[in-house]
Amino acid sequence: MNWTCEQTEARLGDYLDGLLQPSERAALEAHVAQDCERCAPLLSSVTQLVGHLHGMDELEAPPRLVYNILDKTLGPRDAVVAAPGFFGWLKGMGLPRFAYGALSLSATFLMLASASGFNWRHPKLADLQPTTIARNADRQAHLVFARSAKFVSDLRVVYEIQTRLRQDNNELPTSNEDAVPSNAPDQTPGRTDRSKPGGPNQQNRATSVDRSLQVLASTFISRACLSRVPLFTGSLTSGALSSGILSLGSGSGRRNR
Amino acid sequence: MEQDAQLVQQCLQGDGSAWEELVRRHTRRIFNICYRFTGNRTEAEDLSQEVFLRVYRTLASYRSAHGGFATWMTSVTRNLLIDHYRRTRRDRITDSLDDAMPVVENKQSSARRPDELALLGELSSQIQAGLTKLSPELREAVILRDLQQLEYAEIQQVLSVPEGTVKSRINRGRIELARILQQMGVRPS
Repeated sequence: MNWTCEQTEARLGDYLDGLLQPSERAALEAHVAQDCERCAPLLSSVTQLVGHLHGMDELEAPPRLVYNILDKTLGPRDAVVAAPGFFGWLKGMGLPRFAYGALSLSATFLMLASASGFNWRHPKLADLQPTTIARNADRQAHLVFARSAKFVSDLRVVYEIQTRLRQDNNELPTSNEDAVPSNAPDQTPGRTDRSKPGGPNQQNRATSVDRSLQVLASTFISRACLSRVPLFTGSLTSGALSSGILSLGSGSGRRNR
Repeated sequence: MEQDAQLVQQCLQGDGSAWEELVRRHTRRIFNICYRFTGNRTEAEDLSQEVFLRVYRTLASYRSAHGGFATWMTSVTRNLLIDHYRRTRRDRITDSLDDAMPVVENKQSSARRPDELALLGELSSQIQAGLTKLSPELREAVILRDLQQLEYAEIQQVLSVPEGTVKSRINRGRIELARILQQMGVRPS
C-alpha cells in the first residue's frame, strides 16, 4: 500500500488509538521507517506528548469548593454549617497540648480542693462556700505547721540522743583500757590461751548499751503515742528513732567484732 | 453510573444528602476539566460552582436513557466553558497585547501564586500552558480524550458532533499542541 505524509498526519490519531486496519498500520510504519523527514519527527513528538498527557495526574480540588457549591445550591445549611460553627471550638480539644493543659489544671484544682479541706468521699455543697473554704484552709495550714514543728523537735531530740550515745560509746574503750594496767602482760596468770581478757567484757557492755537504748526508745515512742501528736508524725518519729537506734546498735556491734 | 442515576432520583425527591454525595463524587473531575481548559485555578473554581449550580437547577431535565450522568454533566461543563471563553474573549485580546510586552509579562508571572509557580516549573505545567494556546474546539477534544480519557462515543455526545469530527479534532489538537510545545522549546520525553 502506498502511504503519503498527508495520510500520516490525517490518520495519526487513529494510529495512536489503535483504530487503523493492520494493513494501514503496516503501511504507516513502513513509511515512517523510510526516514521520512516530515513524518518521523511528527510521529515521535505526538506519541511522546500523548504518553505524557495520559500520565498527567488529576489535580486535587480545593477543599472549600465542595462547601461553596453546597452553599450555593442548597443554601447556607443550618444543621450542617451552624453546628460546626457553634461547636468549632471543641475541635482543638483533641490536641495533645490542650490535653496536657487540662490535666495540669485539673491536678492543680484537685490539690487546692484537697488543701482547702474538701471531702471527696462525702462531697457537700456547703464545702464549696468561700467562708468554709477559708476556714478549712486556715485549719489545714495550722495543722501542717504544727505537724512540721513537732516533727522538727522530734528530730532534734533523736539527734541529741544519738550524739550523747555516740559520746558514751567513744568513752567506753578508754575506760576499758584504763581497767587494764598498761604495763600488765597480755596474758592473765593461769590463762593458757592467747585470747584477750578484755573481749567478753566489751561484748557484755555493748549488749547492755543496746538494751538500754531499746528501753529508752520504747519509752520515747510510748510517750509520743500518748501525746496528741498526729499519727503519721508519731510513726515517723518512732520509725526515725528505731532506725537511729538500730544503726547505733549495729555500729556498736560492728565496732566490738 | 447506576448509583448516579439513583442519587439523581433521590435529589429530585428533595434529598439534600443525595445531592451532597453527587457533588462530592464529581467535584474533582469537573474542577479538572475547568482548570485544564482555563489554566487558572480561581477561574476553574468559579466555573465549577457555576456548573453545579446549573446542574442543580436543570436536574429534572436529565434523562438516564440519554446517557450517563457524568457525560451529561460534562456536556453542561463544556457549554459553560465555551460561554465563558466567548465572554472573556475581549479580556484575552488585551492579555495577548500585554504578552507582547516582556516587562508586563514578567510582572504578571511574578504575581503568580507560589503553587502555580511550582507547577510552572514542571513539564505538565508547560503542557498546560500549551493547551491554553489551542483553539477551544481542539482544546476541549484533547482534554476530553487524553486527560479525561473519555471514549469517542462519549465525546461525541458531549460535543454533539459526528464521530468523524471528534476524531479529526482530537488528531489535529494533538499535532497542534506538539507544534506549540516545540515552538515553546519543550520536548516531552
